[in-house]
Formats: sequence, structure tokens, C-alpha cells
Amino acid sequence: MEKNHVFDQIPDYLDGNLNKSAEAEFEKHLEQCADCQKELEEMKTFFNVFEEEVPTPSDRLKAKFESTLEQEKINQGKVVQLEAKPSSNWIGNILKIAASIALLVAAFQMGSLFQQRKVNEDIAQLQDETNQMKQTAMLSLMENQSASKRIQGVNYIEEFEQPDEAIIQALANRLLYDENDNVRMTAFEALVKFTSSETVKTTFINALEQEKNPSIQVAIIQALVQIQEKKAAEPMKKLLEKEDTQPFIKDQIRAVLPSIT
Amino acid sequence: MRKFTFILMALFVGTIARAQSDYTKSLNGIQWVKIESKTDIVVKTHSSNELLIKSGPEVKTPERAKGLKLVGEGGTDNTNVGFSVVQDGNTLIVYNLRKSKGAEIYLPASQNIAVKSTWNGDIEIDGFSGEIEADAQLNGGVKLLNVNGPVTANSLNGELEVVFGKVTQDSPISLYSTNGAVDVSLPSNTPANLALSTLNGNVYTDFEVKSEDKNGLKSVLGRNIKASINGGGVKISMKSTNGNMYLRKK
Repeated sequence: MEKNHVFDQIPDYLDGNLNKSAEAEFEKHLEQCADCQKELEEMKTFFNVFEEEVPTPSDRLKAKFESTLEQEKINQGKVVQLEAKPSSNWIGNILKIAASIALLVAAFQMGSLFQQRKVNEDIAQLQDETNQMKQTAMLSLMENQSASKRIQGVNYIEEFEQPDEAIIQALANRLLYDENDNVRMTAFEALVKFTSSETVKTTFINALEQEKNPSIQVAIIQALVQIQEKKAAEPMKKLLEKEDTQPFIKDQIRAVLPSIT
Repeated sequence: MRKFTFILMALFVGTIARAQSDYTKSLNGIQWVKIESKTDIVVKTHSSNELLIKSGPEVKTPERAKGLKLVGEGGTDNTNVGFSVVQDGNTLIVYNLRKSKGAEIYLPASQNIAVKSTWNGDIEIDGFSGEIEADAQLNGGVKLLNVNGPVTANSLNGELEVVFGKVTQDSPISLYSTNGAVDVSLPSNTPANLALSTLNGNVYTDFEVKSEDKNGLKSVLGRNIKASINGGGVKISMKSTNGNMYLRKK
């Protein structure tokens, strides 16, 4: 009997599946057999581990879970209601959205304003540089060996709305000292638009004293009479006395002289 | 062989003969040729890069002047054709020292030239594509034919006649006369900005241009006409104080 171990009955014993006689016989054997006792102990621990590892939810647990779930559902329903509640506060929300949009727009405007200011500065600087370049180009063209290029330089005056003194002076030099009649005439035509400048007036009076080309003489006389320049009377009288002055220039002077003296 | 020698001889004799009546000078390094004359001057083109002055067979030195040099306000005759030719930097200055009888001057077509007539001489320039400056300071007229480059021309009492070939440059053209007529022929497809003005004369043209009045007021300089033709382009300025102006389509 000692050798007749009951290993295979241990699981049934532990589960309580053995009938009374089998159970009594099993326990009787167990008392005498240390091996089986040991086996039983091990089996017991093993099953206990199982039981602990996978606890089977009881009916109570299930019920409790379901009731908790119901409760949770109810609670959640309440939350939904709570969420729905702020709908009465929609003006505030819209205000918030409006505020954020306003902030965005303001930031954008601010950015573009700064950008614009910088661009304006850049444009102003560029324009300044362009004017500077034009002026340089104009002044250097006016010193060119070719008369046509000098005329081109003089014509650059159309690019300037308010030419500075350097340009006026350069044009005045062309009118007074250029050896080419066409250049002098073009310089006169450029300067005649700025007769309010004292430099231009003085230049015209000086030019009238030394100019030999009758076309330029008559043009200067007309310009000076137009602005009623009294100082022009002296050089005009001198021209009247000169022998080589063209007759039509003398006629012109005689006609206009009374109006400025 | 005899034929060859004959040709060689002929060429040699020809060169000698030419050397007696004409004057040539190389134009290496010369940008501008400035010609000044009191008599008629005709400037034409030729293919070699040199200045050629043809005084013509009719110019004879007086018997009494043998061994003497012709002098004038422009200098001394250093060419034996009655001209003084002096180089000043990149400019060649050519003075016609004779006060009567004209001369013909030949230059390459691309040469920049400035011609000045200080007395009665007419200036005629034909076929140049470089820049042209013509100035008839007293009674001479200016006639520019088949010119393609920038032109600056001015006359006092003489007539100013210009016939343009193709005008493509952007350098302005300026044509002024005090008492003479200004007569210009321009290819009809020339893109240009025109400025025509006259004080006592009239303007006649078959280009589409009209007078520009500022607020109904006459401009200071008299009748001013500004117009752009063919979309605008090179600036062409024409002015006659007392003469008429004619602008023709070519």
C-alpha cells in the first residue's frame, strides 16, 4: 500500500470531487506516505497560485460592476448636461474667440506695419541711391567728349523734380561754357523751367552778355522778360549797341526793353 | 613677265601721282576727327582706316608762292594740299587753310566727325554711321545724307537738311537753325520722341504730331510740338527760330 501512491487523486481531492470512501482511503494513505503529503502540499500551493493569479469574478462583483457602470452612466449624463449648460454663456465664448482673432489680426497688422515701415525705409533709401546714381550719370555725361552725350546728360534733368544746386550749377556751366551751340541751347531749355532760382537768373544774365548764337540770345531775352528781370536791361542795351548783333535780335530787344525798365 | 612689270610700273606711277595731289594719314588711335573750314567741305566715306584729303586738280599754288608755305589761323600747311593736320590726344584736328575752293575729305564710315564751317562754306556729309557734329557758324548750310548715328547740327543763316538712314541709337539728335529752314527726312518706322519748336517759322510734317499747349497758354519758346512716334525712342529735337521746319517720312 505504501507503494500505491495517490498522486493522480490529489487534484480531485483538492477540488473535493472524491466520494466519502475514496476520500477516507486517500487521507489514510496520506497519513502514512510522506511522499504523497509532500506532493499534496506542492499541488495545493500550485492551485493556490492559480487561484490568486486568475481570480474569478464573483456574481456580486459583476453586479457591483454593472451597478457602478449604471451609476457612471448616470453621472456622465449629468456631465453632458453640465457641458450643455455653458450654451447660455455663448456670448462670452464668442468674445473669447473674437479676442483671440483680434489679437491675431493685431499681431499681423503690427508685423506688417513694421515690415511696411522697413520696406518704406528701403524704398526711400533705394530712391535716394537711384537719384544719386542719376545725378552722377547726369554730371558725368555732361562732361563727355561727344556733344550728343552731353545733350543726353542735360536731358536727364527731366528725371528730377527738384534738382539740387549741384545739378543747376552743372547745367549753368553747360549754358555758359559749352563750345557746342546745340548743347548750350539744350542747357538753356533745361534751365528755363527753374527761373525762380537765383542761380538760374544770374546765369541767364551772364549768358546774355557772352552768348553769340542768336537763337539762344532771343530765347534768353524772352525768358528774362517773362520773369520781369530788371537786371537784364543792361546786357540787352549792350547787345543793341553791338554791330554784329542780328537785326531781329535788336528788334526784339527794342520791343521788350520798355516793359522791364 | 613683261605684262606684270608693266602693271607694277602703272601702280607705282599711280601712287606717285596720287601722292602729289592727295594727303593721307592713318587713323589709328583716333576717336574724333575735327574739321574746320571757311569754304565748302564735303566729307565722304571710304573703306580704309585713314584720312584722305583730295584737294582736286584745280588747286594750284600761285607761281610767286614757290618755296613758301601757306599759313592761316589754323596753323601751317603741313600736308601740301592746303590743310593743317594736327593730332591732339585721340582727336585729329584738320584745318582747311584756303579761303576759296572746296575740298573733299574721305574717312571710314564709322568715324566720329565734327565739322565746322566758319564763313561761307557749306558742309556736306554723306553716309556715316558714327557720331556727327556739324556747325555752320555763319552763312553756310549743312547737308547730312544717309546718316545713322547721333547727329548734332547747327546753322545760323544756312539751311539744315538731314536725311536719316536707320536710326537705332539712344543718344539724342539735336538740329537747330536760327534763320535757315530745317528739313529732315526720317524713315517712317523710326521709334522716336520728337520735340519740334519754332519761334517765327511754321512746322510742316506728314508724321502724326500735334501741338501741345499748356493750359491753353503758349509756351515761352513759341510753338512747341512734342510727340512720340512708333512707340517712342530716341529723342529728336528740332528747332528753327526764324525759319520753317519740314519733317518728312522717308
